[in-house]
Amino acid sequence: MTADATDRISLADRDTATPDYDDAFDAVVVGAGLAGSTAALTMAKNGLDVLIVERGRFPGAKNVFGGVLYTPTLRELVDVESAPLERYIAERRFGMLTDDDETAVSLSPGEWHEPPHNDSYTVRRGAFDEWLADRAVDAGATLVCRTTVTDLLREGDRIVGVETDRPDGTVRAPYVVLAEGGNSLVSEGADLKDRERRENVAVGVKEVLEFPERDHAIEDRFRVSGDAGASYHYFGEGAVGDAFGGGFVYTNEDTVSVGLAYRLSDAATSQPDPEGTLDAFKSHPAVAPLLRGARTVEYTAKTIPEGGAEAIPQLVHDGAVLVGDTAGLVLNNGLHLEGTNMAVESGFHAGKAVADAADRGRTDADALAGYREALESSFVVRNLDRYEWLIERVQEDRQLLFEELPRAVADAGSEYFRMDRAPKDDHAETAKRELLQAVGGYTGAAKLAVRYRNLL
Amino acid sequence: MSVQPGIPDVDNESLEDRLYTVKYEDPGDSHLDVTIPGICAEKCHTDDCVSVCPAGVWRVGEDGVPEIAYENCLECGSCRWACPHGNVEWTYPDTGAGVTYKHG
Repeated sequence: MTADATDRISLADRDTATPDYDDAFDAVVVGAGLAGSTAALTMAKNGLDVLIVERGRFPGAKNVFGGVLYTPTLRELVDVESAPLERYIAERRFGMLTDDDETAVSLSPGEWHEPPHNDSYTVRRGAFDEWLADRAVDAGATLVCRTTVTDLLREGDRIVGVETDRPDGTVRAPYVVLAEGGNSLVSEGADLKDRERRENVAVGVKEVLEFPERDHAIEDRFRVSGDAGASYHYFGEGAVGDAFGGGFVYTNEDTVSVGLAYRLSDAATSQPDPEGTLDAFKSHPAVAPLLRGARTVEYTAKTIPEGGAEAIPQLVHDGAVLVGDTAGLVLNNGLHLEGTNMAVESGFHAGKAVADAADRGRTDADALAGYREALESSFVVRNLDRYEWLIERVQEDRQLLFEELPRAVADAGSEYFRMDRAPKDDHAETAKRELLQAVGGYTGAAKLAVRYRNLL
Repeated sequence: MSVQPGIPDVDNESLEDRLYTVKYEDPGDSHLDVTIPGICAEKCHTDDCVSVCPAGVWRVGEDGVPEIAYENCLECGSCRWACPHGNVEWTYPDTGAGVTYKHG
């Protein structure tokens, strides 16, 4: 653990009380998160003069994620091994929770212990995002913190720079990369994207916990050693009640992150507030033993754009591109919870497209279309497209999938392994009947199989 | 003692203690507001802003217009989407004020 995060950078070096940067830069990046810093790094490497404007006291100060960072693209751009990583993911566990049962599947492939560890690491965004922004600065970008972009400058339909909350804080530049996160006040204010429906936005809350009086609590409880760590995902009633979402526990170096996320429409209606839902999840019989004796070191919240492929806004405008959460690039289909890799991929392609357009001396949307095309043929949009149907169906079947089926599976499991004096034939028969009942008999099971046939 | 045999108690800290873990700089003015108070008072019967907020920022006021404890805000933006009347005014706290996360 390092000292107070705000002490780690000298604000005097970074802050500029009255930036006078008009036309000094080729591109302005709004937000020094994963997407923004990757775009800035890519553009700077391609010879552009780049200004990154970050509203937090340092990059990462305003950023929250679940937390696993997926690094396949980052590895091509920076030396990931020298980054402030916490642990690599050596085990992925998926637990289905009723109010008092757990049925779980765990995967620990041996190869995950070998570099590059399936490109999956826990990190602290306060440390990692600052490190990544510094790589962009090393490549020549300029970083200004504690400065909020309040609006975009326009000439006709063309974006020609940003307005900030600093005195004389107008910065004109041919290109603007909008990497402001999911709460996209600037992009929405400038009509570059519509406001998302609350059915398509999740609210997430997370606590980082430490174990003050228990050495080796993480190693012992999660059965890991060295730099190995674990990622536990939970769904069902015991995780988020009747809401559409899930919970998680991730191991950091000497803390754990525990949290959950579910749709805002559920939070507004049937499901208790996020904090109450988190309390219940932490107290679940399958989760509580992992967290016993822990103390909260940080409580955070964020919103997550989960509208999928259909909700991706227009990515390319005259003089501007949208990346990361601003572009709605998050995949949550229950099994895969991804966003960090998609943010980086989008920042990379956007940065390349801007550099290409700059080479040709053009700023129009057509000249930047390479970004959209690259993203559409990358895993980012292809994965979102692939699971679009699944997310819709899971939403429709949520009662069955998150409540009835987990209960039936747990009941069938305890029946199947029941120790009494009845023969196993009887137990197996009862277990089978219970499972079939939950899915509507053989016909129902067949219908479900057809309905989810594209899963594999 | 645990309520359920075999299951340890987990000490869930109060919201106040949780918010105390977050480094915060008061911008001086609220970055949150309602656009038209009359909509809250007359048209809103669900208080969705209160239901979704993870930080207890929004509280039902006596006149039907919510009271806003903006200094609790974790800047997640939930209230902005949750309000079915689009009646939440949301801006970012100025010049780096508001929350600073160390872990995130």
